[in-house]
Amino acid sequence: MFSIKLGLKNLTRQKRRNSITILVIAFAFFIYLFLDSVMGGMEQLSFNNIINFETGNIQVAYPQYWEEREELPLENLIYLNQDIEESIKNIDGLLATSPELRFIANLNNGIDEIAVIGLGILPEKYNEVYTTQQYLVAGSIFSPGESKAVIGKGLAELMDLKIGDYITLLIRTKEETFNTIDLEIGGLVNTPHPMINNGIVFVPLDIAQQALNVENGVSMITIRTNKEKEITPIIDDINQNFQKKNINIKAYSWRESAETVIAYSAAQDAETAVVLTVILVIGMIGIINNVILSALERTREIGMMKALGMREWEIVLVFMIEACGVGIIGGLAGCLLGAAGVGWMVKYGYDLSYIGGDMSLYGIPILDKIYGVWNLSSFIFIFFFGIIIALFSSIAPAYWAAHKDPVKALYHR
Amino acid sequence: MSLLELKGVKKIYQQGKIKVPALRGVDLIVEQGEFSTIFGPSGSGKTTLLNMIGCLDTPTEGEIRLNGNKVSDLSRKALAMTRRFNIGFVFQSYNLIPVLTAYENVEFAIRLIDHTSELKVKERVLKILEEVGLKGLENRRPNELSGGESQRVAIARALVKEPKLVLADEPTANLDSKNAADVVKIMVKMNKELGTTFIFSTHDPMVMEYAHRYINLKDGMISADERRG
Repeated sequence: MFSIKLGLKNLTRQKRRNSITILVIAFAFFIYLFLDSVMGGMEQLSFNNIINFETGNIQVAYPQYWEEREELPLENLIYLNQDIEESIKNIDGLLATSPELRFIANLNNGIDEIAVIGLGILPEKYNEVYTTQQYLVAGSIFSPGESKAVIGKGLAELMDLKIGDYITLLIRTKEETFNTIDLEIGGLVNTPHPMINNGIVFVPLDIAQQALNVENGVSMITIRTNKEKEITPIIDDINQNFQKKNINIKAYSWRESAETVIAYSAAQDAETAVVLTVILVIGMIGIINNVILSALERTREIGMMKALGMREWEIVLVFMIEACGVGIIGGLAGCLLGAAGVGWMVKYGYDLSYIGGDMSLYGIPILDKIYGVWNLSSFIFIFFFGIIIALFSSIAPAYWAAHKDPVKALYHR
Repeated sequence: MSLLELKGVKKIYQQGKIKVPALRGVDLIVEQGEFSTIFGPSGSGKTTLLNMIGCLDTPTEGEIRLNGNKVSDLSRKALAMTRRFNIGFVFQSYNLIPVLTAYENVEFAIRLIDHTSELKVKERVLKILEEVGLKGLENRRPNELSGGESQRVAIARALVKEPKLVLADEPTANLDSKNAADVVKIMVKMNKELGTTFIFSTHDPMVMEYAHRYINLKDGMISADERRG
């Protein structure tokens, strides 16, 4: 159709104005794609940190414990036996399991005291589920039975502790009596997870159990699988095995321990909607401004088109095609700019130390550096979103132009 | 049956609270193949009359018939379709589309009515451009053409769809005398060869010499209507 050809040819008019509109749209799209990538990157990094340092893929605990797990109770612990171990060990996709005992403690360095979370672990098993050992920056992980602890670098700096220093953990036993554990600092870790760095004291499981007087009780068993994206069937299998043996223990996905981050992710959707609305408004203003100015400049031309017998919808189509062209070029430019920005974020990331470095203040378990992620669907979405904005926002001003009285238009009255 | 028939056509413009009569009752009959000029002083209603005849505007009062069909009270859409198929326009300021070549400016008009093959359209456009003396300039854009050449493109655009009636509002006003004469000669030639009816308004006595009929408009009324030859 000639209207389409004319609309496309009109793109070569008012190059400067069209270029500015295209740049505005491109910049808005770039912002969206960049933010989307950073948000996605933060989400992925948060989830990775939770899985790699906090929960593994699956956690197994008594439901009563699970409900109160934030308070780190010493009730409803799992007492390891053959039935429990068998229920877990033959699961398809299982890589490793790690029993752990979580407890409240106060760390005393002889001068100051700070509340921490004590984590009793079996080092060999723990290292199969978590990646914490890879972030050991000084010393080494303890062996079972050794009166040694591993703490985060942040906590060590806060309490002025170094390898070889002694600390005392003040704890309450299962019977609510006070007890202490004296430990030598055997290792320091510096992970991307703020909680590990600033608030956890790793101790040998047997020492923790003995001090807390919980026999061989553990708070939970964490599991690493090689089917990270298909953990629901694994959880179902574990739960069925427990049911068969009449054990009232349940398996939980890591997602249930990542509620803050997931809530943040939901908030991110709302944020995306706000960004999209801003882009919508920017795009609409740009396109409407473009079409109105074009129509004003081409009033005589519109009159001529009407004199030749062009119908209003055909004139509207000319302007819509032109606006659509601006939307497409702006969208492509935005996607190219976005690809450059996202590529840079994926490769080099952003050092959070420029803005304080610790996202845990906002409930996000990220420290140091965040990286972007590629999200092809966002590129496709924003590109078509741009075209749709261009089309819809051009309708009203194009109709206004096309509806002009032909005589007034011809003589520019 | 006459090509065009106007009976008691009046046009009154409302300017604020004041009513300004532009046409005060025009009666006119134009036959197929006529080459007529409308002349008169500024403000006499020439352009208003051409707009009424060209279905660009509707009269406040009176009746206009084109080819026997009453067009004075048609809807905007119907008027557009009447213009599309029956009337060609030539404007004083050419009104060519600057991003289109001479060929495309002419093609534009025919595409509105003819959706036949590319080859047929091309043949027709090239033929009409040749007839108005623009062979070889088909790919030039308006800013690469002289005023005379631009007006020839406008004439080709008006004629390519072979309308029954071509209306030209002061088509030579922006041209020098040589180009003006050339443009009018082309219109005369097309009138003879295609039998197209031309009605044009002008102030230029040289241009008027070519007309067969002179319609003098004064204060919105026809004060004289003479035929020659």
